[in-house]
Parts: sequence; C-alpha cells; structure tokens
Amino acid sequence: MSRPHEESAEEQVWKLLSEAGLVDITLDDFPERIKEVKHVVMGRLSELLELTTDIQERQSAAYALGTLKKLETTLGVDTCQPSPGDRRDPPKRLSRAE
Amino acid sequence: MKPTAKQVGTGASWPPEEGRIITFKSVSDVKKGILKEVRWGLVWRDFILEDGRVIPEHKILGCPEPPVWRKANEVSQDEREAWERRLVSMAEAGLDPRDREQSFWAELNQYLAYTYLRFKQTAHKPPNAER
Repeated sequence: MSRPHEESAEEQVWKLLSEAGLVDITLDDFPERIKEVKHVVMGRLSELLELTTDIQERQSAAYALGTLKKLETTLGVDTCQPSPGDRRDPPKRLSRAE
Repeated sequence: MKPTAKQVGTGASWPPEEGRIITFKSVSDVKKGILKEVRWGLVWRDFILEDGRVIPEHKILGCPEPPVWRKANEVSQDEREAWERRLVSMAEAGLDPRDREQSFWAELNQYLAYTYLRFKQTAHKPPNAER
C-alpha cells in the first residue's frame, strides 16, 4: 500500500470513480448513475462482440447489463422523486479531503 | 450507546475493533455509531454499525489514505453473481436506495462503482486481461 506506484494506481481509481460520481452517489442520482454505468457496459459489450476469444467476459457483461436493466426498471420511477431534505445538486465530485 | 464502547482516537489501529465508537461523515454533518463488523464489498470495505447502518470505509474519520480497495479482478464470478441476485431481490422487495446508510444504498453504490471500473478499465485491453 505504501509503494509509490500502488498509491498512484489507487489515486487513479479514486479519481475515475469520483469523476463518474460513483464514490458516494447522492440520493436522487441513482437512475442517472445506473444509466451511465449501463452505457459503459454496452460500450464494452459492443467491443467484445467483435472478438471471438472471450466469451466468458461477453457473457458476464451481458449478465451485468441485464442486472442493471432490471434495477433500472424496478427503481426507475420511484427514485426520480426527491425525498425530504434531499438535494438536487449535480453529481457530487469528491476529493480526498472531503 | 453502550457505556463500555471506546472511541477510536488518533493512532488507533486500523480497522477499529468491534464495539468501538466510530465517527463518520454524513450528508451535512458528522455522526457516530458503534462498530459491529467490517465487511469487504466489491470495491471497498463497509463498516456495519450496531444499529444496522452501513458506512463506506472512506467516510470514516481516521481512515488511512488512500484506503485499500479491491481490484475488479479479485472478485470471483460467484461473489459477483450472488451480489447481483441480492440487489435485484432487494429492488423487487421494494427497498428504496434513497434510504442512505442502509444496506441497499451501500450495495447498489458498490455494484455501480465495481461494474463501471470493471468495464471501463478492461476496455481496449487484450481480451483475456480481466481473468
């Protein structure tokens, strides 16, 4: 954990997730975050469909996509309504100091 | 709160022991709770409190930086599929992910983070890079 190259990798992951608004999802952002993650999975799946070598990853991407769609369908309508006291800010971008 | 619970202070070992009082950042303030269990999720560790709240490790005051996170390829297919089934059943049971600091919120947050990392990071890599 203390080696410089590892910290750098962890920082990159933190930054990637923070910029995607996925470190700490604000309460009304679930539908939008699910949509964005679905978009990433679909992008990867379309790459995998052009390859013939990694059927296992293709299957797990398709399974993940199915799970996200089920979650979106089940949660979609209800989660668009704000809860009392909740904010309507854009996705929160976290910093380590926060 | 149990009168015997001890607060995690500066220099305490990490993660804190069960029964310790931990302090964590919430939406608008700082809260406290008694630690019941520390559990690995798909990306980060969750601190389970005695009252059932689930707090991500990076929200706990005193958490070492950077926190230790799992790599996406450390999660087995069985673990991932069990997590997916659990999420879908919680959604179908009518749980609301907006109940912050509850299990569903914590598990859905981790699943989205994990899935994003998994497919974002494997994009453009050789096809067998993930496994």
